[in-house]
Amino acid sequence: MATPLTFRIFAALAALLPCVAVAAVWQGDEQSGALQFFATQAGAKFPGHFGMFKVRIDFDPAVPAQGRLDVTIATRSADTADAERDEVLHSQDFFWIERFPEAKYHAEGFKRDGMGWIAAGNLTLRGVTQPVAVRFELKPGALHLGMKGGATLRRLEFGIGQGDWAETTWLSDPVDVAFDLSLLPETAATSP
Amino acid sequence: MPLRNSPARYGSIAQTLHWLVVALLVVQFTLARIADNMPLGPDKVGTLARHKSVGITILGLAMLRLAWRWFDPPPPLPSMLPWQARAARISHAAFYAILFAMPLTGWMMSSASNYPVSWFSLVQLPDLVAPDPALKKLLHEVHETISKILIALAGLHLLAALKHQFLDRNGLLFRMLPWRPR
Repeated sequence: MATPLTFRIFAALAALLPCVAVAAVWQGDEQSGALQFFATQAGAKFPGHFGMFKVRIDFDPAVPAQGRLDVTIATRSADTADAERDEVLHSQDFFWIERFPEAKYHAEGFKRDGMGWIAAGNLTLRGVTQPVAVRFELKPGALHLGMKGGATLRRLEFGIGQGDWAETTWLSDPVDVAFDLSLLPETAATSP
Repeated sequence: MPLRNSPARYGSIAQTLHWLVVALLVVQFTLARIADNMPLGPDKVGTLARHKSVGITILGLAMLRLAWRWFDPPPPLPSMLPWQARAARISHAAFYAILFAMPLTGWMMSSASNYPVSWFSLVQLPDLVAPDPALKKLLHEVHETISKILIALAGLHLLAALKHQFLDRNGLLFRMLPWRPR
């Protein structure tokens, strides 16, 4: 016959189960870490970052094919530590923030990639949607999920750099994106 | 003309380094003036990138000149008044200080504005300071001020050389020329 104490322990463990199950969905934003980009100007790579973004990953390592990754980036938060360049970056020639305030990434299904994973998703930037592969590694912690990775995209595929900026001698076409995040379970973060 | 200095004049290595730096400084002032009048676009980025590459080249040549000067000391000054000899030594030292200060403040300024320096798109140089708009503004002013001092000093240097050559007729200009001026 179960004692009340044993019953209580089982009840407590049972109560935790839904948490464990939904903890497959993790989310974060600019508070969770850094989302950087690296462009190459005249042979010199310089860093920039996005100060406003949201990340959501639905991932169960047992069924990676059902994984989902969604990222939303506020294009006006692009920051390269130089006011003059940021102004150009926000203008119609680059992100065109008035017309395209958000960039979105959506991937369904992850594949093994060495120690990590690769998401073959689509990035919508400045109104253009193109496939972009995002590589990442996951480091589960007690309360958070470490997510670190990056992607390389070609800015001109998205029309990032109009007019004179469409040349690649002084501003190269490939741009690297890198992120290092510490995500929280969606339930914990959304509960009051 | 021998490679090394003789008591009468500078050798071909010292002369080449001297005139190469003069030519590159003219290029530098020209590129800076052109870039200053451009809106931010690929052309400005490219012009400033060239300015930075040439600046780093001058920094390298300045180090080479100092090393060569140590290895092969310059010929003694021709006869002139003691204050003139002293002024010559001070201005030469000032030139060397500027040949280091100009590229270094420019490099720091590039780092402070998060426009890192590459040498002719071949090698990217490390950043000397972290991005900092206020520091960038200050370094820009310092860089420009030193450039004005350089122009003034170069003018003085040229006038002094011409005075010694053509008024004092002590053959000073010939020391830094591959041929004897008539």
